[in-house]
Amino acid sequence: METLSEASRQALYLLFTGDKALWTIIGISFTVSLRAILFAAPFALICAFTLAYTAFPGRRLLISLFNTALSIPAVVVGLTLYMLLSRVGPLGDLRLLFTQDAMIIGQVILCFPILVAMGHSALQATDRRVWETALTLGATPLRALFTIIHETRFGLTAALIAAFGRIIAEVGSSMMVGGNILNYTRNIPTAIALETSKGSFAQGIALGLVLLLLALALNLALTSIQGKGEVVP
Amino acid sequence: MNGQTKPPWLSLQGINFSRAGRTILSDISVQFGDRELTLLTGHNGSGKTTLLRIMAGLLKPDSAILQLNGSQRTGSWMRNRGILRARCCYLHQQPYLFDATVFDNIAYGLRRQGLDSSEIERMVGDALEVTALDHLRRRHCNELSGGEKQRVAMVRAWVLAPRLLLLDEPFANMDKPSRGKCLALINQMQQDNIAVLLTSHDPQQGELHISRHLHLYQGRMVGKKSPAEPDQSPPASGEGQPDNTKEMKPNE
Repeated sequence: METLSEASRQALYLLFTGDKALWTIIGISFTVSLRAILFAAPFALICAFTLAYTAFPGRRLLISLFNTALSIPAVVVGLTLYMLLSRVGPLGDLRLLFTQDAMIIGQVILCFPILVAMGHSALQATDRRVWETALTLGATPLRALFTIIHETRFGLTAALIAAFGRIIAEVGSSMMVGGNILNYTRNIPTAIALETSKGSFAQGIALGLVLLLLALALNLALTSIQGKGEVVP
Repeated sequence: MNGQTKPPWLSLQGINFSRAGRTILSDISVQFGDRELTLLTGHNGSGKTTLLRIMAGLLKPDSAILQLNGSQRTGSWMRNRGILRARCCYLHQQPYLFDATVFDNIAYGLRRQGLDSSEIERMVGDALEVTALDHLRRRHCNELSGGEKQRVAMVRAWVLAPRLLLLDEPFANMDKPSRGKCLALINQMQQDNIAVLLTSHDPQQGELHISRHLHLYQGRMVGKKSPAEPDQSPPASGEGQPDNTKEMKPNE
């Protein structure tokens, strides 16, 4: 078995020599997760708004359900989707099993509760005066919503970061409904699992490093949107 | 209360409001002429803020009749609140400034009116100059002092040229110099034909040319004075005659 330092050295070599197989895997991981979050975010935002700014029976129950959904294991989502999408399942005719679309569906389900729960807590903490000030200065209700989003951008971006962090790193659902097919549904986490089981740790570590580096880059970009993120005296 | 020749441009009658079974406002009527400065006093919890928010079209009353220039507006509150929102501007006791620069805050309402940016630039610049806030133009709003925030919020409302400005306790927690600057601003607004209604728990507003003094007591309008002193001179009868009577002044 290779030593950890030897594996890491090889990993960096693979990374910076532009190993094609490696970069294909990285590309799949990010396109799938970005598409999932872009699809989930608008609906989650509407949900969070509704929960924060309207009163209807069952609202508190719904909030509790979303909070509970935060702790659903990815494999359970994968298992459920697998049963639904398999040839004999109720959605079998869609022929979605072992496709990127199936992975996206799984990741949407995984990130949706995070976006709603964190978005809701950010929005319900906003000052009621934001809404009223916007309206009294002549903003339409829709425009006032955008003003609230602007004023809450720190918390909302935090929700995006947390949600993306969960789906870019999950193995369970992608493995089950994606099938870990090379050049198609093999993403970073499933590849790491595979390489580790084969005993080739260099690939695994390289992928792990990429995951961290790219996540860092993305977070730096998002943090610049967030603004200062400090309480200015 | 106003001159017979011209009906008040805005009149709200029979305002009732209750929440959770508790009556907060009961059969309130208010009307406004141009350039009037109305002082609304009342204890904490007497319903001042609620009344202001209803007048700003931000809160739905249980019932209210809206008249514009003497003619009654029928239709739902949803439609009428648009009329109110377009004409009245409400300032919170501690105004909220958006997380942006002073310039962007003042430009907010103008941008909603769809003016082009050079026009907005000019209007905001003028307003900042007239109010001697020019040095704060590029400053971020969370770097401002309390008094500066209050004035920026007032300028932000002023540039929109509302018919009626609703100020909720503008002088609370304000030191003398800031207060003086705010008073000057209110006087300037009046000259711009903006009617101002301001609330205070303190009836002594000697520095201002109050045209009318209303008092709320447990959700009812009790005229000019507090119920403890019912017999005082009637309110001033026109915009031209500012009434500077102070409540504490002994009556003959």
